[in-house]
Amino acid sequence: MSLVNIELKKKQMIWFFVITFLIILSVLLNIIIGSVHISFSELHQIIVSHDTASTKGFIIWNIRIPRALASVLGGAFLAVSGLLLQVFFRNPIVGPFILGISSGATLMVSFVMLTTLTMGFTFLSPFMTTLAAFVGAYATMMIILSIANRVKSGITLLIVGLMMGYLCHAITSVLIAFAEKEKLKGFVLWQMGSFSGFQWSEIQLMFIAGGIILALIYGLSKPLNAFLLGEEYASSMGVNIRLFRILILLCACALAGMITSMAGPVAFIGLAVPHMVRLCFNTSDNHILIPGCILMGGIITSLCDFIARMAFTPVELPISAITAFFGAPIVLSLLLKRRVTI
Amino acid sequence: MSQSQPLLQVEKLSVGYQNKVVLQNLSFNIEKGEFVSLLGPNGAGKTTLLRTLSRHLSPLAGTVYINQADLKTLTQGHLAKTMSIVLTEKVSPPFFRVWDFVALGRYPHTGFLGKLTPADEKVVMDAVKMVNAEDFLFRDINTLSDGERQKILIARALAQEPQTILLDEPTMHLDLKHRIEVMTILQSLCRDKGISVVASLHDVDIAAKISDKVGLVKDGQIIAWGEPEKILSSTSVAALYDFKDASFNRFLGSIEIKGKGNNGSVFVVAGMGSAAILYRILSKHGFSIVTGVLHENDLDFFVADSLGADCFTQPPMEAISPKNVQKAKKRIAESTCVIDTGFPLGSLNHGNFDLLKTALKMGKPVFSMRKNGDFPQLTPSALGVLFLCNDEAHLVTMIKEKLKEIL
Repeated sequence: MSLVNIELKKKQMIWFFVITFLIILSVLLNIIIGSVHISFSELHQIIVSHDTASTKGFIIWNIRIPRALASVLGGAFLAVSGLLLQVFFRNPIVGPFILGISSGATLMVSFVMLTTLTMGFTFLSPFMTTLAAFVGAYATMMIILSIANRVKSGITLLIVGLMMGYLCHAITSVLIAFAEKEKLKGFVLWQMGSFSGFQWSEIQLMFIAGGIILALIYGLSKPLNAFLLGEEYASSMGVNIRLFRILILLCACALAGMITSMAGPVAFIGLAVPHMVRLCFNTSDNHILIPGCILMGGIITSLCDFIARMAFTPVELPISAITAFFGAPIVLSLLLKRRVTI
Repeated sequence: MSQSQPLLQVEKLSVGYQNKVVLQNLSFNIEKGEFVSLLGPNGAGKTTLLRTLSRHLSPLAGTVYINQADLKTLTQGHLAKTMSIVLTEKVSPPFFRVWDFVALGRYPHTGFLGKLTPADEKVVMDAVKMVNAEDFLFRDINTLSDGERQKILIARALAQEPQTILLDEPTMHLDLKHRIEVMTILQSLCRDKGISVVASLHDVDIAAKISDKVGLVKDGQIIAWGEPEKILSSTSVAALYDFKDASFNRFLGSIEIKGKGNNGSVFVVAGMGSAAILYRILSKHGFSIVTGVLHENDLDFFVADSLGADCFTQPPMEAISPKNVQKAKKRIAESTCVIDTGFPLGSLNHGNFDLLKTALKMGKPVFSMRKNGDFPQLTPSALGVLFLCNDEAHLVTMIKEKLKEIL
């Protein structure tokens, strides 16, 4: 009987081809175009000879390629994280940051950047920021996980996340009020999020850790599908709800936390991309949505990063502004055209 | 010994939540292929009981056995292959076609990634056919009506290939067509597939006609358990729902709503099923009904009795006795008007014809549905007035008009 879905499957395959092509295109775009002009032949030369010594070689290898890859990976992780949480909470307006992950990270970073805790460590500042964000994101996650064990309904957990967010925000704003002017600017810039300044070591970490987590998540797509009917149906079909709940939250937070700690809070991707993928692929089947989100999240974020970099060079716009500015109308128009309620 | 043990055994079970016992000391068995309806008022604990049977709640005391194994000890996968559920909660995830939705029911049978084998696809298709949903196999489930969606939920439960299905109010929100269809589907699951069905229901009349067993749930316990034919009577149903203005008739298998009777009293001369519909209309319009003389096996008697009418009765196959006629005449004298349903005249009910003539003599208005000319003896005599009516509705309008003129 699967023959009946052939037309849908065909359309989905076409979409996969299209977005895979687009992702390659946008990565190339990000590598070639920038404030320093580099031609195709030069690029070819630099790549083939693995030239990192010359100025242009340095720019390509140590600035543009890491940044292009980071934006693709970051977008993919955020989108998948958002998808997981939307399925988990059975709520379309949920994104990875609704659970207070970004607020936790922001709080810790504000401690590091705005208070005198960093005295004597000024030269370690970028590393300290990443570490602080990491600690903040995962601390929030641990608190939420421990509460998740005790709370029955997903909605209650959602409210717990929101409240955590407000609490962190409150403390951050108090710190801002007392902060010195010079420190404030750095903090505000971090808060806007950016994919600049990624190290190869960070890219490697993202590849390995993120890859493992994504593979795990794909393995969870069967129970994720069952979860679309709600916890009671899922458990009646044989899903171990307790274990599954922990795994989902752990994976979602790990992905979102990793990106937040390295690139700062990047808004909107986690919320919007799953919707775009659902509409494009016309399905709720997580076997398709997970790879779809990885690709689509990658494209959208890397294109947004490109715009953020190039729109008003040499001024770089905050990535969150671009993601929201382009993402919101896209989601709105898709929704209105399809006349569906999600 | 019987060759088969019961599928589900419940022993001294107490169900409820941490601080609150909802039902206690329940013991019953459910056999293979049995249709069990749980009846009872809202909030009696039907859902709590179902949730305990499906292991969404753990029992406060006592044990549930499935195929002689303690429910607690079963693995989740094993339980999923034994039991499936249909809940009242509305589920409609976006971008889901009927086929995909039903296929989710294969969950406990498929491998790690949930890929369907041809055998799985056949089971899904059979489940879809079982609920007559082939026509909308690829519709988005969000475009389905409540009735269609309910059928799909049942198909999904069926795709799990369970031995028992628990349903929480499966006919809620459904129109009559789908209500009957869903119940028929459930019945055929029991008859043809040998699946045990346990459903909480609100339609006592449908439950009585379809179930093998009913359980009456009230006041923290199951007050009765057994065949509906034995258990359901006007008194047990009235007690279950605290009826005052309605009653269940076990012979008719239906519920009659008693009128308020504040619109004056009418005497209906009836018999042989000629007044069943008329009684309901009169009761609905608030007339208090006195009727007679009816044979005790007459359909008219069952309906009139359920509606709480005063009945003069005669044992079956006997001619109406003069004594009964005398008593009835007294009541006619007290009534505001008399109705002749146009009952066929035979040797046993001459007494009723006598009642009509007496009414006219007493000067009572007589409303008759008898076709004019059938009985020339009924032409108006000196005092009474005879009104001829076409049907029940016409008759009620006439009574209301004329009574207004007279009073």
